[in-house]
Amino acid sequence: MKRTLLVAFLLTASAGLRSQVTPQRLLDAAREPQNWLTYSGRYSGWRYSTLNQIDTGNASRLTLQWAFQVGDLGQFETTPLVVDGVLYGTGQNDRAFALDARTGRAIWRYQRNLPEKLQPCCGMVNRGFAMLGGRVFMATLDAHVIALDAKTGNLLWDVTAADYRKAYTFTVAPLAVKNEIIVGVSGGEYGVRGFIDAYDAATGRRLWRFETVPGPGQPGHETWAGDSWETGGAPAWITGTYDPDLNLIYWPTGNPSPSNYGGERGGDNLYSNSMLALDADTGKLKWYFQFTPHDLYDYDATQVPILLDTDWEGHPRKLLVQANRNGFFYVLDRTDGKFLFAKAFGDVTWAKGIDPQGKPIVNTGLRSSPEGTRVCPGALGLTNWYSPSYSPQTRLLYVATSTECDIFTSSPQAYRAGHDFLGSVYVPDPVARPTGALKALDVLTGTEKWSFPYFSNPNGGALSTSGGVVFAGDSDGNFIALDAKTGRDLWHVQLGAAVYSTAITFEVDGKQYVVVPVGSALFAFALPQP
Amino acid sequence: MQETPAANSGIKGLLTALVAGFLVYSTLAVEAATFTPKNKATAIKEGASLFRANCSPCHGLGARGGGRGPDLTSGRWTHGSTDSDIFRTITQGVPGTEMPANGFEDSEVWSIIAYLRSLAPPKRHAVSGDAAKGKEIFSGEAGCSGCHMVNGSGGLLGPDLSRVAAARSVAYLIESIRSPDKELSTGMLDPNNHYGLPLVYDTVTVVTAGGSKITGIARNEDTFSVQLLGADQKLHLFLTKDVKEVIHERKSLMPRYPEETLPASQLQDLIAYLETLRGREDNGARAGK
Repeated sequence: MKRTLLVAFLLTASAGLRSQVTPQRLLDAAREPQNWLTYSGRYSGWRYSTLNQIDTGNASRLTLQWAFQVGDLGQFETTPLVVDGVLYGTGQNDRAFALDARTGRAIWRYQRNLPEKLQPCCGMVNRGFAMLGGRVFMATLDAHVIALDAKTGNLLWDVTAADYRKAYTFTVAPLAVKNEIIVGVSGGEYGVRGFIDAYDAATGRRLWRFETVPGPGQPGHETWAGDSWETGGAPAWITGTYDPDLNLIYWPTGNPSPSNYGGERGGDNLYSNSMLALDADTGKLKWYFQFTPHDLYDYDATQVPILLDTDWEGHPRKLLVQANRNGFFYVLDRTDGKFLFAKAFGDVTWAKGIDPQGKPIVNTGLRSSPEGTRVCPGALGLTNWYSPSYSPQTRLLYVATSTECDIFTSSPQAYRAGHDFLGSVYVPDPVARPTGALKALDVLTGTEKWSFPYFSNPNGGALSTSGGVVFAGDSDGNFIALDAKTGRDLWHVQLGAAVYSTAITFEVDGKQYVVVPVGSALFAFALPQP
Repeated sequence: MQETPAANSGIKGLLTALVAGFLVYSTLAVEAATFTPKNKATAIKEGASLFRANCSPCHGLGARGGGRGPDLTSGRWTHGSTDSDIFRTITQGVPGTEMPANGFEDSEVWSIIAYLRSLAPPKRHAVSGDAAKGKEIFSGEAGCSGCHMVNGSGGLLGPDLSRVAAARSVAYLIESIRSPDKELSTGMLDPNNHYGLPLVYDTVTVVTAGGSKITGIARNEDTFSVQLLGADQKLHLFLTKDVKEVIHERKSLMPRYPEETLPASQLQDLIAYLETLRGREDNGARAGK
């Protein structure tokens, strides 16, 4: 009897420990494909799973297993996390929930009590949790960072990062590294001064802050004319990636403010539209690479950086690749930020190319004007924030792309705290109706291997699996499974609203699920009888 | 709009008293009183900037009408022409239309109104025609009613024109009749609406597997399907995999009406008729029913 009790106790204790997401588990996330532990699935940013129950031969039989209604409208941008059979997600208006990942039944729901007037540029959205220990962490629209108990949703701590009344907001999914919860701010359309913060997961104490617009006396400050740095933007609203060997966090930044008028912010405007490599312990800048200096077209570099160890020109090298919103595919050395290669992956007119140092050769004839100038890609970019995916099986990078070119107008605008700060508008070029595609690019050369056409501009990213399948969603409501090698349509289903997120995959009780947030609901698909 | 020293002068008090005597809303009276010549220019400038960033995607850069929103320089205000009417239209939107409620601060709304008031009206197009004759042309020889619905009767292919005069300038109407394809190339989309609206009134031809062609208006379309309202005014629902080709014609299905087929005098009659179309009073739009 005693022995039975002891065994029962030990089993319970180990189950309890198992539900703790340790820093080591995050480092080894690729070894537990049954779970989805971080925004991009693993620190390297691949959004790739080794699960292969669903493959090119059977994807056509995918069937709805459950749906979960968030109960709110607006863009549903979360990437859910799945840990040991429980799915954790965030929703519109800073809702959050935990579900039984097999049935979609809610375990708890949370909704943040938000102030009335908030200024997110692009919807009351949130892109998901980070998880560490027995806690989930969320960055909120009113610029707080909070920790919830993973079993109950109870609030454990709540810290203020910035003043939402000045339009500082969070939409990002935090990244958990060691004991840190790392977040980047939104608000590039409102003249915020961007930053990336790290908080102690246990207490919520801020451990470091990296300001993405250097202040007086800091290197890079000279790249801002006059006082323009004070409202310089350079937000950091997409979750970065992490190299544990180099102990560097790679975090991309967004546009300078005002986005469409540069008359009063002469200079390169560091560190807008850049890739930042920050020391994970101190937040100190190790290196930076600016993709679009002195941007006039809203080319945020906020695309998930993909980390790759492979041969480059015959020698093993630690690489960082990114298909950038400005229309160029980049390869950098991630140890020092050295520029290695760039190539346009669609129609680009704002620059004639990239010089050997990695600087764009800007087409000065296409500066935006008060009357309007047609520029490609448009402000929403050749690609955008939605996640790319890298499959080591095909060595292809899957990137959703848009053909939209915009007419950019430009005019001065006075800054007012908490108000939009754009310096005029852009409108889609009316001559050609914008469309999109999911493109497969060679991960080292950027060469297009195949392209699956979308009728409309995409807002959803891609997930690839070792089953040889790429899952993607378009803006017309289709969730699609494609052959990763050829781009052939294996299966699709109409879910009734534009896809504003990217699918994840996990396994419970021997069944592989693919979950995608669409409209107001999460949809879970699997094979009928695996 | 910023408070300025001038706003605190005796003129302000006098204006306030005068205006308050005429207007119901006391807040409006105070705000209206701050439209002194000194800060008006600032307000117009700010209003222009706000308009550009927030309103121009629908109403056009110069407020002269865009793909979705009416011309705001015509002097014709369907939902009320007083400052307080326009204030309400901007802040609350217009239920039953595409005009949304907007979250501006009051001072910003006043700046936008100041900007709109500052715009010169477009060149006047004198309407000399006979509306009764125009109605006959519309329903008769010009064949307009074959495609356009007015107050519940007429065809389905073209836009419902029941309240066209409330939304479109005479110049726009003339252009739409003489050169119907032009609007297709000047349509503006709301850059903050990432849903990618389908092109409305773009002619689409579907070539079926058997080679027959069906032309009409695509009510919706995506990578996998097309929902076509055919020129036969029937719905044709296609799966893209079952058809040979989907052709976007980049032109309007509406025929051109040049001088030879619609002489100037008849055009004037037609315009006079269209100018009477301002929507029915009982359509419930105002009350948001």
